Formats: sequence, C-alpha cells, structure tokens
Amino acid sequence: MFKTLAGRALVPVGLAVTGFVVVCCLLLYSAIRRGINNYAVSEATNLADTILKSTRYAMLKSDRETLATIVRNIGEQKGVEHVRIFNKKGVVNISAKAGEINRQLDKKSEGCIVCHLGPVPITTLGTMQQARRFENSAHKEVLAITAPIYNEPECFNAACHIHPSSQKILGTLDIGLSQDSLFKSLATIRIQMIIFTVMTLMLTIGGVTAMLRRSVFLPMQRLRKFVEESGKRENRLAAPPHLPQDLDRIAHCYHDLLIKLESAEQDRIASRDVSSKK
Amino acid sequence: MNNTLNAHTVGTRSESGTRDNFCQELHREIMRLRRFSNRGLWALSLFLLVCIAAWNDFSFFPLPEAFAASLGKPPSAQAVSIMLLIYTFSAIILTLSRMTAGIEHRSSFCHVGYLTVFFLFYHFAKALDDNYWAVFSAGITILGVESYRIWSFCREVIARKTEQLEYVERTGQIPTEE
Repeated sequence: MFKTLAGRALVPVGLAVTGFVVVCCLLLYSAIRRGINNYAVSEATNLADTILKSTRYAMLKSDRETLATIVRNIGEQKGVEHVRIFNKKGVVNISAKAGEINRQLDKKSEGCIVCHLGPVPITTLGTMQQARRFENSAHKEVLAITAPIYNEPECFNAACHIHPSSQKILGTLDIGLSQDSLFKSLATIRIQMIIFTVMTLMLTIGGVTAMLRRSVFLPMQRLRKFVEESGKRENRLAAPPHLPQDLDRIAHCYHDLLIKLESAEQDRIASRDVSSKK
Repeated sequence: MNNTLNAHTVGTRSESGTRDNFCQELHREIMRLRRFSNRGLWALSLFLLVCIAAWNDFSFFPLPEAFAASLGKPPSAQAVSIMLLIYTFSAIILTLSRMTAGIEHRSSFCHVGYLTVFFLFYHFAKALDDNYWAVFSAGITILGVESYRIWSFCREVIARKTEQLEYVERTGQIPTEE
C-alpha cells in the first residue's frame, strides 16, 4: 500500500483529515455536554428556588399539612426522583416518600459533606456546588440540588417560631431529578455527530481520491501503458494519448525521441545497404 | 619507470581508501536512518504511556486543589480546548509541510511533551474525564502523521543510499553528487 503512488498520496491526507475531524467532534461533543449539564443544573436550581418560594408561606405559618401536600405533589411529577426537607440536625422532616420521614442523614454523606467538611459549616454555595450526581437505589442516575433554607426576619420575628436570629440556616431542601432525558438527548447528539463525522470523512477522502485518480493516477497509467506499448516494434511510432499538461509534454518528448531513434536506425540500415552494394 | 609505478600504486591505494571510506560512510548513514525511522514509533509508545498515566488520573501528581493552592487557578477547560484545537491544526499543517519539503526534522518527542501538558491542564482544570479522548485522538493523529513522515523520509533516503552503495560495488567508482 505504501509503495504505490496512490497509497503514498492518500495515507497522510486520510490520516490527518480523519484525526482532525475526530478531534474537532470530540471537543465539540465535550463542549455541548458541558453546556447541557450546566443548563440542567441551573434549571434544577431554579426549580429548587421555586419550591422554596412556593412553600415559604406554609413554612411561615408552620402549616405542615400544606407543606407535605406540596412536596408530595412535586414528588409525583415525572422526572422527579425525590424531594425532602431536612431540619438543621439532618433529620428528614418532610418528604415525597413517606418512608423517609424522621430518618437521620449522615453529615458525611454525599451532598452534605460539601458544606460540612470543615468545623464550621459553609452557609452559602455557588449554583454548581449545590449540585451532585449519583446513582440511586433504583439504579437511576440522579442530579440532586441541595438548597439551604435561610433564616429571614419574618421567621425569627414571628410569634409562633422559636428560631434565634443568630441561626443562619433553618434547614435544607433536597431535590433529585432523573438524568434519563438528559442522557437520551446526549445519545442523540452523539449519534448525529458520529454520522456527520463519517459522512464528512467519506466526502473528503472520497473527493480527494476521485480527484487524484482522475487528474493523476489514470493519466499516469495511460502514460505507462503508452511507454510499454512503444517498446513493442509494431506500435513503436504510435501517437501519444491526450494527457494533462505535464504528462503530455513527457509523452511528446518520448515520442519525438522514438521518431529520431527510428530515423537514425533507418539511416544506418540505408548506409549499410549502400556500402554492401558497393 | 619505478617512480611511475609507485605513484600509480599510491594513487590506486588512495582511491581504494576513499571508496572504502565512502562505503563505510554510506553503511553508517543507512544504519542511522534505520534507527531514526523508528523515532516516530518510540514517540507514539511514550505517548501511550502518558495516556495510561492520564487514564489513572495522574495518581502520582498532587490533587488539582493542592496544585491550585500553590500555583493559582488553572485556565478553564474551554480555553484549553481552543488551544488544543489550534495546536492540532498547526501541528498537522507543519508535519504535512515538512513532508512536502522533504525535511529531516526530529520533532516527535516535543509533541509528546505538548500533549502531556494538555493532559495536565485538563487534569488541573478537573476536566480530564470529558476531554481525555480528544487529547488521545489529537496525539494519535499528530504522532501518526509524524511517524509516517519520518518513516517515508528515511525509506527514500535509505533507497538512495543503497543505490549509491550498489553503484560503488558494481563500478568501483564513487557516484557524482546530484
């Protein structure tokens, strides 16, 4: 393969084009995935904020029944894996799943350790830090958001409440969203990009091959055939085929050389005949 | 008469010595080119070793947090990706240009260095998982084209040198320079 002209011309071009297109596609896919993941996190954070705002009044009124109903209804929505509200001690106060209520959560568990790593817990987190990904007990990939419920003047000034003003965080809302639709979208993009890459490569390499074959390899083959045929006595002075410019000049030069050789040979034969008659 | 014979013998000896030196030089050059033609493959092997280390998340290096604490924030993964794209494009163009010009250039191992730096930047930006295959493909492409360039260059020169050697052995004369 590497010995032929076609192989030597096409191998480096094919390798370089294929490699570069694959690198571009991988980088593009990575950027798209990063963008979609960031968008999913920001959407989940917005959803968590919406839930907190929707439940704020019920929390202020300490209306646990309304709060539990809201949380349960959100938990029944498609794509929502879990919704929980923890108190400051890490005990699940309200959850969409009844079995989780009053369960104590370990502060070292995933999602809690981000804030509880040091001796003093962190009270504010960026959007991306609030998010975590894990596989739940049903073997589903989950994107969870942990949103703190801050102590506000309405909370510590209300007559019914007992939170001191020094307490910054009253509890935490934890919402988990299924990643299935995200993975489906990414899989579709991946397949589309693979198809696009293969088509681009086929077009590029096919186009280069076709052009090289038409402009270089076939004329070279015709030139070779002409030279080989000229070696035979009966076809010695056959006119050269029509070839692209450079090859045409080579063929004509070779043909002129053959004519000169032929004429010289005939002169030699004629002179030999004359000398033998004498 | 004796003097002329001596001069002729000395001339023949010196000619034969030059021819032997030339042949030895050709043999040495062919051996060197045979060794040099494997340079691309050695670079590729070294790159694969770096890839194995990157696959294991550079376990022998400090954690990205420790690195950021001592040297500052690393560039974003997006910036590193743009640089990787520009580097891949430039490296391929440069290699193809060298292939066209028929230049003997020993650049393979420096590409392994550049690619390792890209792996490290992604590692410290905590984006190695997402971009591992991009750097891997870039490395395989660049080092593959570079290996082919070195190998085809060496093959051509070896063929020329072998022809010269055969000419010397056949005619007993040193071929004229092209």
